Parts: sequence; C-alpha cells; structure tokens
Amino acid sequence: MSSELVDKPSKIVNPPSIPPTTDTSAAPMIEVDHVDFYYGKSKALHSVNLNIAAKQVTAFIGPSGCGKSTLLRCFNRMNDLIEGTRIGTGEIRIQGVNIYDPTVDVISLRRQVGMVFQKSNPFPKSIYQNISYGLELQGVKDKKRLDEVVEKSLRGAALWDEVKDRLHSSALGLSGGQQQRLCIARAIAVEPAVILMDEPCSALDPIATSKVEELIQELKKDFTIVIVTHSMQQAGRCSDMTAFFYLGKLIEMDATQKIFTKPSQQQTEDYITGRFG
Amino acid sequence: MSTNDQNAALSAALKGRARAKVLGLTFDDVMRYFFGGNATVAVIVLLLILVFLGKEGAGFFGQNQVNLSVYRKAGLEYVDMMRLPMEDFTSLTRGLNDARLVRFQALLASGKDAEQANAALAEFDAFADKFGAVAGDARGLMTDLTEVVSAVKTRVQVAADNDLERDMLRHAGREEEAKALKIEEVDFQKEIAAIKAAAGAWKPTADAMLAGLKAATATGRAAAWAKGDVLLEKVFVKAEKFAAELPKVELRMAAWNWEEPVPYSRSMAAFLFGRDWITASFWQDWYGMLPLLSGSLMVSVIAMIVAVPLAISCAIYVSEIATPGEKALIKPYIEFVSAIPSVVLGFFGIAVLGTAIRSLSQVEWLNWIPGFPMSERLNAFTAGLLLALTSIPTIFSLAEDALANVPRHFKEASYALGATRFQTLVRVLIPASLSGIISAVLLGFGRVIGETMVVLLCAGNRIAIPDFSEGLSAFFQPVHTMTGIIAQEMGEVAQGSIHYRALFMVGIILFFASLIINFIAQKVVRKYRISIG
Repeated sequence: MSSELVDKPSKIVNPPSIPPTTDTSAAPMIEVDHVDFYYGKSKALHSVNLNIAAKQVTAFIGPSGCGKSTLLRCFNRMNDLIEGTRIGTGEIRIQGVNIYDPTVDVISLRRQVGMVFQKSNPFPKSIYQNISYGLELQGVKDKKRLDEVVEKSLRGAALWDEVKDRLHSSALGLSGGQQQRLCIARAIAVEPAVILMDEPCSALDPIATSKVEELIQELKKDFTIVIVTHSMQQAGRCSDMTAFFYLGKLIEMDATQKIFTKPSQQQTEDYITGRFG
Repeated sequence: MSTNDQNAALSAALKGRARAKVLGLTFDDVMRYFFGGNATVAVIVLLLILVFLGKEGAGFFGQNQVNLSVYRKAGLEYVDMMRLPMEDFTSLTRGLNDARLVRFQALLASGKDAEQANAALAEFDAFADKFGAVAGDARGLMTDLTEVVSAVKTRVQVAADNDLERDMLRHAGREEEAKALKIEEVDFQKEIAAIKAAAGAWKPTADAMLAGLKAATATGRAAAWAKGDVLLEKVFVKAEKFAAELPKVELRMAAWNWEEPVPYSRSMAAFLFGRDWITASFWQDWYGMLPLLSGSLMVSVIAMIVAVPLAISCAIYVSEIATPGEKALIKPYIEFVSAIPSVVLGFFGIAVLGTAIRSLSQVEWLNWIPGFPMSERLNAFTAGLLLALTSIPTIFSLAEDALANVPRHFKEASYALGATRFQTLVRVLIPASLSGIISAVLLGFGRVIGETMVVLLCAGNRIAIPDFSEGLSAFFQPVHTMTGIIAQEMGEVAQGSIHYRALFMVGIILFFASLIINFIAQKVVRKYRISIG
C-alpha cells in the first residue's frame, strides 16, 4: 500500500521508543502498534508506536496540535463521534484485543475505558444521578447497590465528605474542582480498567489541581491512567512514564524522571526547557 | 531615539486620531444616531399600535353597559324571562319528534309502507298534538309582548340616533336644523307599567300550562302504546323537571326591577363570560366571547396534539440521527412549509382536506370514532390539522435548535460511560433541552392561536361553544375563532359602533393571550440557559 511506503521514512526518523523500564514483566495494558490517524484527508498521527503499562500513570505531553489528545481519544474510540475520522494502518490493542476490529462492541469498550474531559462536564442532574448514570445504563436498578457504588465512587474520588449531605442537589452547584472530581467519580463508578484524562486540570485553580493530582496517585493503585497535559510540572509530579509528541509523531517515551532530566532527543529537551512549545 | 523624540511621536499619533466631523458629528455619532433612531421608530410604532388598540377597545364596556341597560329598561330582559321556558318546552317537543322518528323507522323496517306507518302512529300523533298545544297560550302571550318591547326598543334607538345626529349638526354649526330635530324621549315608567300589566296574564296562563302538562304527561305514561319507549320516558322525565322549574319564572318576573342600574362589572362579565355572540339582531345584540375563545382554544389544541409529536420527532431525528445528507434535505423542506401563504393552505383545506376527511369519516369500519360519520366538511378538526401544518416549522426549528444547543460535552460524557445513542438521547439530551422544547411548543401554540386565514376558511364559522355532551365528537363540530371573527366582521361594521369596539376587545384579548404565551416561553428559555450554565 502506498500509505505504508509514505510512512516508512517517518519510522526511520522516529527512533524506536525505549520500552518501559519500570514494569517489564507484565504485559502492557495498551499497545499502540504503528498507528496512523486521519481527520478527513489530513493525517494527525504518523505511525505512533508505544506501550502503556498497567496500573501506572502515563503522561502525554507536547505542544498544541501534536496529536496527543487524538491518540488518547482513540483508546475509547471517542473519535468515532467526529465525522470523517479514521484510523489508517496499525492497531490499538487493549489487553490484547484490537479495539478497531469490526467485531468489537464500542459500548462495552467504553465501559472498560473511562474518560475524564478537559472541561468538567457533569450532567445537569443531581450528584447522585451523575454517579449512578453509568450503572443505570447497564440496567442496574437495585437501589442498595446504587447507593453503595455512589458512596464508594465518591470516596474513591475524595469527594464523599464534601458532598455526602447534598447528594440529591444539582451537580452544577459544585465548584469547578469538585465538578472535575465528580466526573472522575462518575468514570470509576463503572469500574473501568483504564481511565483516560484529557487535560483534567487545565480549567482548575492550583489548589483544586493539587487535589486532583493527589487523587491520580491514589487511583493508580486500581486503574491504568493515561493523562494528557499541557503542564510539564504536572507530568513530572504525577506520572510514571511520559511520552512526548510533536507534529503527530511520538518523539520519545521513557520513564518520567529520565525524560525530565536526561532526554535522549534534542526536540524533547528543547520543549522541556521551554525553548519552544 | 531619545525620550523626547518618543514623546513627540506619541503625541503626534494621538492627535492623528482626531476624527473628521460632518455637521459637528463624527462617523461614530452618525452610526449611533442611525441605529438608535431605527430602534426608537420600532418602539414608537409598537407603542402606537398598543395605544390604538386600547383607545378603540376601551369604549366597549361603556357602550355595552348602555346596550345592556336598554335591554333592561325597554323590558327585553323581562320578556326573555318568559322566553326561556318556551325554548325549553320546544326542546321537549323536539324530543317527542325524535321518538316518533325512531318508531316510524322501526315500522318501515318491519315491512310497512309510509302510509301504514303513519296510520299506526295515529295515537302517538294525537298525543303529541295535545302535548304541544299545552304551551300555546303562554307562547302567544310571549310573542305579543315581544312585539311590544321591540317597538319600545326601536323608539329608544331612534331617539339615540336622533340625539347623535343633533350633536353632529351642532358640531357642524347648523344650530337651526339641530333645534328643528325633534327627539321623542321614551317614558320607560309608562311603557314598563303597560308591559307589566299585559304580563299579568302570565301567571294564570302558566298555571294552566302546568296543569295541562301534568295531565298530558300522566296520560302519556299511562297509555299502552307508550310502554317501554326509552326516548319517550326521557321526554317525560324532562317534562317533570320543566314543570318544577316553571313556577320560578313567576318569582323572577316579580323580582325584576327595570330601574335597577346595570353595573360596569356586569358589562365586563357579559363580554368575558358571555355564551352568545349575536350581532345585528332585531331583538338584542350579545357580545360574549366564550364561543370564540373556546373555538380558538379547541382548534389550537387539535393543532398542537397533531403538531407537537410530529415536529419534535422530526427535530430529534434531524439533530441526532439523520446523516448530513438527510439533514440537508429535511430541514429546508420542513422550514419551507412556513413559506406557504396561509390562504393557500386554507384553500387546500376546503378543496381537498375537508372533503377527504369527510369521505374518510363515511367509511363504515371507522364508525367507532366519535363524531364519525361527520356532517360538516369544515370543522374544528379540519382547521386544526392545517394549523398543525403551519406550526410544525416553528416548533421543529426551535426544538431542533434547543437540541443542537445542548453542549457537546454532555453527549461525550454520556458516550464515554458506554451509553448507546438512544440512552444518550432519552437520558441526557432531551432532559437538558426540555425547557427549550417546551418554549418551542409554547411559541408554536402562540403561532396557532394567532393564525387567521386558515381558521376563517376551514373552521366552519359557526358561533357556538363546542358541545361536549356527546363526548369527543365535539372536535368535529364547526367553530368560530377570535381571529376569524375579527377578519370576517371588521369590514362591515360602522366605525365607533359597539360592534366595532367589541371586535377590538377581542383583538386585545388575543394580543394579551399571545403576549402571555410568549412571556412564559421566554421565561422557560431563560431557565434553560441557566441550567446549561
């Protein structure tokens, strides 16, 4: 295929990413295998190739338009909602299953791969209903079970103490930071394997941001977390692995500490030190 | 550059910003006055319309008060007290006729010809004649008095007309002619005394009628041929009720006082809650808007029942399900409907839809639908269907906007939790856009209630409150509407007359109805914006 021929040089330009050093024993949770991605005719991802380990926080960094969010939204096929998008060559495998296989049920994929968005987006419903929504979609009607899950999820998102007295008031009455943690609680209520976070703190003040970051550290005990961030400090603070993207290509992926201290690529160093981006 | 140079350059730049002026006005000023002026004109025009409506309509209640007090003073009210039982009695005899018709048809069905059937009903007819004759005297008395009071009323009107003419002559400076005009004042005291004297015969007449009615009912009940006839029994029961009511007429007549003034509130109540709209009558004009209001509401409700599900389903389909290609086809197509002139729709209603519905109603196996087969081609239902057509574009467009305005991130959040398209639609999109959809429906309702041409052409224009005594078949009765009556009658009324002002009052009521509907719709939309926040 001609597209493969075109893609060959980019593979050569991109050095093969160094496999994760921290957790080599377990099979990776997500495998991205030479993925090309298109918005209509324009190519947004060029043969991206990386592995994401289970129960770790992986951060995607890079300047705007570098394709990091696009890749993230491939993991739960959120890009399907946008007209004219398609994945070209390559495969994305989650727990070994190619999620772009026609036989894959997108609905159950999204139950396995939860997502937290850039702008906190609770539904205009009560706090309780926001959390119970995901379970109700699956047909859970048992009130006791719902109550348990709501409490567990809110505790898991470190929000329980703040909202336990007003579970049935509107979620839109919460502060920005609380709303974002509510969205995290909503995502973990359906017990996914992976949680995708698309710049979850970009609209929050520093205090709310630090709360969410603490929460991410807690959550990684149970979930595999992939976070897209514009803040390099944030990537440094809360991720185990960091991947740097530039112009739709993966430039470098390595342990976070190594990326921030001794990156192997000049472009990475330039970006991290603030010379561009 | 030195600091001085910089300062010089800066002040030069600032001076350069001074604007060219025309007639002492800068371009900004001109633009401001131009747009502000247009806005002011729009506001003034609206105000003028309001003032005009109010001015033309305001005089109505006063005029209606005069109208009602003439009704009282000339004794029409008095005679109407006698007329009421006569009309009730007529409905009794109509019941007898119905009963006869049923019997007659049964006889025909059993193989007799018309002559034999009539012969078999001889006993019945003799009874019916006797029954009908019971009211003869009372009816005669009432008719005589009707003529007397009509004459009085005519004289009152002539006097009022002359009065008006004299004023006009004076106004024109023709004092001589004005003086020459003779106005005959009506002496109500004398007239009423005469009427009351004549009406003295009512009590013995009514008593005789009562006795006759009781006797007739008793013979009818006892007669062998009447046994087991349900319709006839109904008439007898009604006759008993009538007999119980009849003595009260006397009491009412005794209590009636022609000098009692008609209060202003009565004039208002007679308009707002009046059950009759009768104009240019030889007897008494009534301006009660209840039949018009109920007609308008009925037509609008039918329209909404049809339009709301259709329009909202379309909106949901177009905004959530349709492919871009379908969207590009359906949206302009529906919106195009609003470009059809309503008179064309009305014409279509008369020529095609009305006839089609009537033929459909005559299909045998649809007889279970109340009101089928229907007699009138043009009725509330026909008009309602067409009005639905005019309101669908409004409701569709606004509901579609409301759905499209639900922030994208609600939808994404729902999908990200593993919701299907249907679940997202029902659990997130519709609740989030509900107030927008409600306001779309309200605005559609406002559109429908203000629509004129279609109802004028297709609603059948019978001024009557829909009769729900036979259930839902009321939806297939012809009605008249507030908009229709204005369009129909405004052209033929004398400016400043009570009828003219009554039409203006109907217009004002219509205006306020639309105003309130729009106001509520806007309130709902505002709430919706906040909830999306």
